[in-house]
Amino acid sequence: MKILFINNDGAGFADHIEIADGTTVEQLFRKRVNEGNPADYLIRVNRQPASSDQVLQPGDRVSFTPTKIEGAGRT
Amino acid sequence: MRFSPLAWAKLLFLRDLGPTEVGGFAISDAQDLLYLEDFVLIRQECSPVTVAFDDDAVAEFFDAQIDAGRRPEQFARVWVHTHPGNSATPSRVDEETFARVFGRSDWAVMAILAQGGQTFARLQFHTGPGGSLQIPVAVDWSRPFAASAWPDWNQEYLQNVRPDEFCHHQQIREHAGPLSVSEMLDGLTEHSHQFFNEKGPT
Repeated sequence: MKILFINNDGAGFADHIEIADGTTVEQLFRKRVNEGNPADYLIRVNRQPASSDQVLQPGDRVSFTPTKIEGAGRT
Repeated sequence: MRFSPLAWAKLLFLRDLGPTEVGGFAISDAQDLLYLEDFVLIRQECSPVTVAFDDDAVAEFFDAQIDAGRRPEQFARVWVHTHPGNSATPSRVDEETFARVFGRSDWAVMAILAQGGQTFARLQFHTGPGGSLQIPVAVDWSRPFAASAWPDWNQEYLQNVRPDEFCHHQQIREHAGPLSVSEMLDGLTEHSHQFFNEKGPT
């Protein structure tokens, strides 16, 4: 089945990909982000926060976006 | 790295609009990724010395940009924020964010504009042998550019920049009368202690 996958790692990615039926959010994360820490990403399915065991459905829109982007002036 | 006149004017306008730092992402030309066509604020909580993006707003920004037909390398590679004072040198918090958030991208730029006008930009790349280098910042006047849009920029600021409690306190006090220098320093010091006790010293 196909889903739309958005990921900022590497060259950046926003395209339809083919995944196996029954793939969970966690499985997709492990396959696509590999050694990344899930805490460093906001994982959403169809623009809503997703649990790790959520099973993806055909046509889902999945995004892994960075969290805790913060800056500070020098003091 | 070159800003379009429009992007540069917008960044200066937003830097000077309120009492806080501001931050966002630059939008790159599809064919020339170090030519920055625009600067976009992300919903954020700010103080005079800090800026923190809202995680949901970052995700919404990504979705909106993808829907607009852009690729991540056009909208999520150049992280821009401002600093108070005259120094654009990255702080420890800046460095940690740059390493953690952008360290898995093929390339990224951390760009900083200080209140006093100093600029800083570092390009890091992870293809080939990898590396990083400081790059110059310029305004490119060679291409046509649109007119300033202050009302729109002002609206974008109001929708996205949430000053923290100290700034609210300061603004309320401005209506009642200016803070004394000692009151302002006390407030800043208190705020900085709260922030950096969580993050560690810069």
